[in-house]
Amino acid sequence: MTLELLEAEVTRLEDMQEIEDLEKKYGYYFDTRRVKDVLDLFSENTESVEIESHGQYLGKDGVRRMYMVGVGGEAETALKDIVARREKSSGAGFNVITQLQGVVTIGSNGKTAKGRWQAWLAESFPFAGTFGQYWLHGYYENEFAKENGTWLFTKLFWNTTFFTRYETGWLVQPIVGFLPMPNPDNPPTAFHPYPSGYHFPYSFPHPVTGEVEVPVFRYVHPMAT
Amino acid sequence: MATLEELQARIQRLDDIKQIEQLQKIYGYYMDYGEWQKLVDLFADNDPSVEEADRGVYKGKEGVRRYYIDLLGGVPGKVPRPGWLSIMFQLQGVISLDVGATTAKGRWYGMGMEAKPTTSLHEGELRQTWISGVYENEYVKEDSKWKIKKLHFNLTFRTPFEDGWLKVPVVGQTGPDSKILPDEPPTAYSPYPSGFHLPVSFKHPITGK
Repeated sequence: MTLELLEAEVTRLEDMQEIEDLEKKYGYYFDTRRVKDVLDLFSENTESVEIESHGQYLGKDGVRRMYMVGVGGEAETALKDIVARREKSSGAGFNVITQLQGVVTIGSNGKTAKGRWQAWLAESFPFAGTFGQYWLHGYYENEFAKENGTWLFTKLFWNTTFFTRYETGWLVQPIVGFLPMPNPDNPPTAFHPYPSGYHFPYSFPHPVTGEVEVPVFRYVHPMAT
Repeated sequence: MATLEELQARIQRLDDIKQIEQLQKIYGYYMDYGEWQKLVDLFADNDPSVEEADRGVYKGKEGVRRYYIDLLGGVPGKVPRPGWLSIMFQLQGVISLDVGATTAKGRWYGMGMEAKPTTSLHEGELRQTWISGVYENEYVKEDSKWKIKKLHFNLTFRTPFEDGWLKVPVVGQTGPDSKILPDEPPTAYSPYPSGFHLPVSFKHPITGK
């Protein structure tokens, strides 16, 4: 093996580690409401961001609107006010969005990558007029690009499995309710929570057979079964 | 300073560990969706085995196929029951692999949430459950690809969502299947509150024991 090939191997391993860390840091920033730091994890060439039933947001401006105006609750110009208020908040509203089981696939050019994770969430926030405590689950399929030596998000998509109350559970109440945002570019593109049986396609090839999944829309309407 | 060959071997080991970790995580994603044939294809061709909870040991590639496709899948091509849910996080992997080796071991936590029938008769009523356990698995490099040689999931609890592990440690375990028989009985089935600890495959990082 030449030094050049060795360097390429080391670079690939470092890239995988950096992307795994990027995803985990996204989770920690989001959990601690560091929305500006979340925004800075995204490329200027971001394609889209979509979580829960909020709808799909396009471009870097969409990322800003999703996290600042949506989850942050304020315009970007009011960031200082948001931070100040968070520091004084009771802490009753919170989320733990664990970033688990990352499988990263680096593109053949070494400049792009895809990754699958799953998130298991414990949250509490006011919904339908009262505070509730919730379990949520879903899968991520995200995309990344290496720009000026640094990996950034270019697409983030979290596909919800369930959003249930701590007191009831996913079988009894798969979805407590919808969480639409006022200003998405598109409605949710694949919001088919449990028990639809929806199969969110994998970005990785089969490790042994090399089979690459052709995305198939596997949603089955409950009334059709 | 290491030679180029020594560096290559060390980097290969890091790459192997990453591949094995991804193999196990992908195993988890396929299990979540009941991708039975894809799961069978993750196993080694030469003398693999699988054992989960109290179902017994299924040996050989044919045994692995009987376990995933015939037993878990029902019959080939069977449509999953509406409302069936299986989520099992593959967590905290520790891979033990020597430089230049083509076999490895790994310990993982499996933790998850399910909606499955918990009695064998009549396929049963769907129940929502929390599940937790430990994997001690073995891997082998065959034809330059890492595959699962031995998969062993040792159940700690599977409890109804409404009850919890202290009140009801286990539901839905009824022993080895009476029709699709395992090759050997369960080897280490002793869930909470037995206090059983599945032996660890890794060495102590400081003492080496």
